[in-house]
Amino acid sequence: MTKTFDGRVVAVDGVTLDIAAGEFFSLLGPSGCGKTTSLRMIAGFERPDSGRIHVGGRDITDVAVHKRDMGMVFQSYALFPHRTVAENVAFGLRMREIAKSEIERRVKAALAQVALTGLETRKPSQLSGGQQQRVALARALVVEPPVLLCDEPLGALDRKLRQQMQFELKELQRRLGVTLVFVTHDQEEALAMSDRIAVMNHGRVEQVGAPTEIYERPRTRFVADFIGEINILEEGGRARALRPEKIRLVADGARVSGTVETANFLGGSTLLRVRSGDGRSFLVRETHAGERASRRPGDVVGLAWSDSDAVLLEG
Amino acid sequence: MSAPRNRQPFDIGRAAYLAVNGLMLFFLLVPIAIVLVFALNPTPYISFPPVGVSLRWFQKFFAGADFMNALTLSLWVAACVLVLSVLIGGACALALARGHLPGRAFLTAFFMSPLMLPAILTGLALFQAYLLAGIGRPVWGLIMAHTLVAVPYVIRTTLAVLHNFDRRIEEAAAVLGAGPVRVFFEVTLPLIRPGVFAGGVFAFIVSFDQFPVSLFLVVPKGETLPVVLFNYMKFDLDGAIAAASMVSILLALSVVLVLERLIGLKAYVKL
Repeated sequence: MTKTFDGRVVAVDGVTLDIAAGEFFSLLGPSGCGKTTSLRMIAGFERPDSGRIHVGGRDITDVAVHKRDMGMVFQSYALFPHRTVAENVAFGLRMREIAKSEIERRVKAALAQVALTGLETRKPSQLSGGQQQRVALARALVVEPPVLLCDEPLGALDRKLRQQMQFELKELQRRLGVTLVFVTHDQEEALAMSDRIAVMNHGRVEQVGAPTEIYERPRTRFVADFIGEINILEEGGRARALRPEKIRLVADGARVSGTVETANFLGGSTLLRVRSGDGRSFLVRETHAGERASRRPGDVVGLAWSDSDAVLLEG
Repeated sequence: MSAPRNRQPFDIGRAAYLAVNGLMLFFLLVPIAIVLVFALNPTPYISFPPVGVSLRWFQKFFAGADFMNALTLSLWVAACVLVLSVLIGGACALALARGHLPGRAFLTAFFMSPLMLPAILTGLALFQAYLLAGIGRPVWGLIMAHTLVAVPYVIRTTLAVLHNFDRRIEEAAAVLGAGPVRVFFEVTLPLIRPGVFAGGVFAFIVSFDQFPVSLFLVVPKGETLPVVLFNYMKFDLDGAIAAASMVSILLALSVVLVLERLIGLKAYVKL
């Protein structure tokens, strides 16, 4: 599908995604890469200029938003500020003209599912960010949509809470078997939660794959660079990507030797910046399985890696 | 935040802030206090200092058929203006904020223009227009004229609310299965209502207080309260005028307070 704004800015350019039922699928990329526009086209807020959108074999490209039967969680949560928690969650059921007793039962169950029992009569403004997040999730899930769209739903939470919600969301998704399309610019979040990730840049999909595949076998320089730390080695006009943890510090048989410039202690590992004799810069991750970091700035070290770990990049 | 207050040296910013606020309150409240003093002073002409306290001017005001007819007409007109300008102004604001209209800035300025024009010109222009159109000076003409002047207030307050409106909330409702009409009545309308009603309060007061526009458009025996008071003052300058003013102030104040109670204006509207 393709989407152009104002006839000038190409937001999404020939993106083709094939998302499996029950999959946790992430759209990952920097801001302005077209991931949110893609999601909004799936939701029906934007119409693709070309291309079609199918869900479960049904073409929904021309179906109005309110008839698509999807769930969506927004970054700002977009709760109804004039309604209580229970009324927020009940909204989708009410729109589906479900019987009152049934609505009550399902709202109760949905709130229990996100651990919000007892807050039914609160207004959204009386809740913490994490609680609002859960209300938004319950409101989207209570209608049992086959597809749940999430637009950076955890972006507004602080780090600790975000990690907790990552686990909870993933667990919930697995339990309900819902197909989840998740937009994020946070690569750690995408790696931790997704079954598959589409890395996007400038309105195009650079690579689609499982998190390990994206991390270990990046296809393009952008993907290699966007996900985690990377060394790009230029050899005879070809570029290779080498993860810092694939480099060993050796006394003998070094491919390159250099001087440690900085050593950043990261807790579980230490990230070294090593300047080689010919002026190249290397990132090396020294993991602390046994003893603590031993290298200090100024130390001379030998670097070695195996050819199979230096991934050949396209272009 | 800052150091404990008792240790703070003389703070010129704070002093200026207090002084300005004090002056504003003084200029707002003292004239009202003076009117109250005149309204309660039993001397047969407006004089100072007062010689006593009596309700004779209030009695005269409430017993006067001219006053009462005018008060009823004014309240009736103001109520109609409130309803009409809420409907028209609310719809205008929605169109301006949401409509993707070409020349939106021009249209906004155009709809706000009754605020820029001196009301006396508006009154004169409408008077001549009504005359040319041959419709005379019916009450509905007066209501239309007041509505014209009042609508910009509703547009302004509604636009302020719409400006801060998170449209994702409407999108959330749509994804949950609400069609455009339901989104409007379930989400949009409840969320902009405080702004629309705040404008409605202004509209009511603009109409209830309206003198220059009314002056041209009322007929004898069908005059609104401000016009009746003006005519009365030309011949008698007694406490009845002050009493009428107090009643007007109290009526306007109670409209504001009731609406504030009902919908909590101050929580939403920043002007």
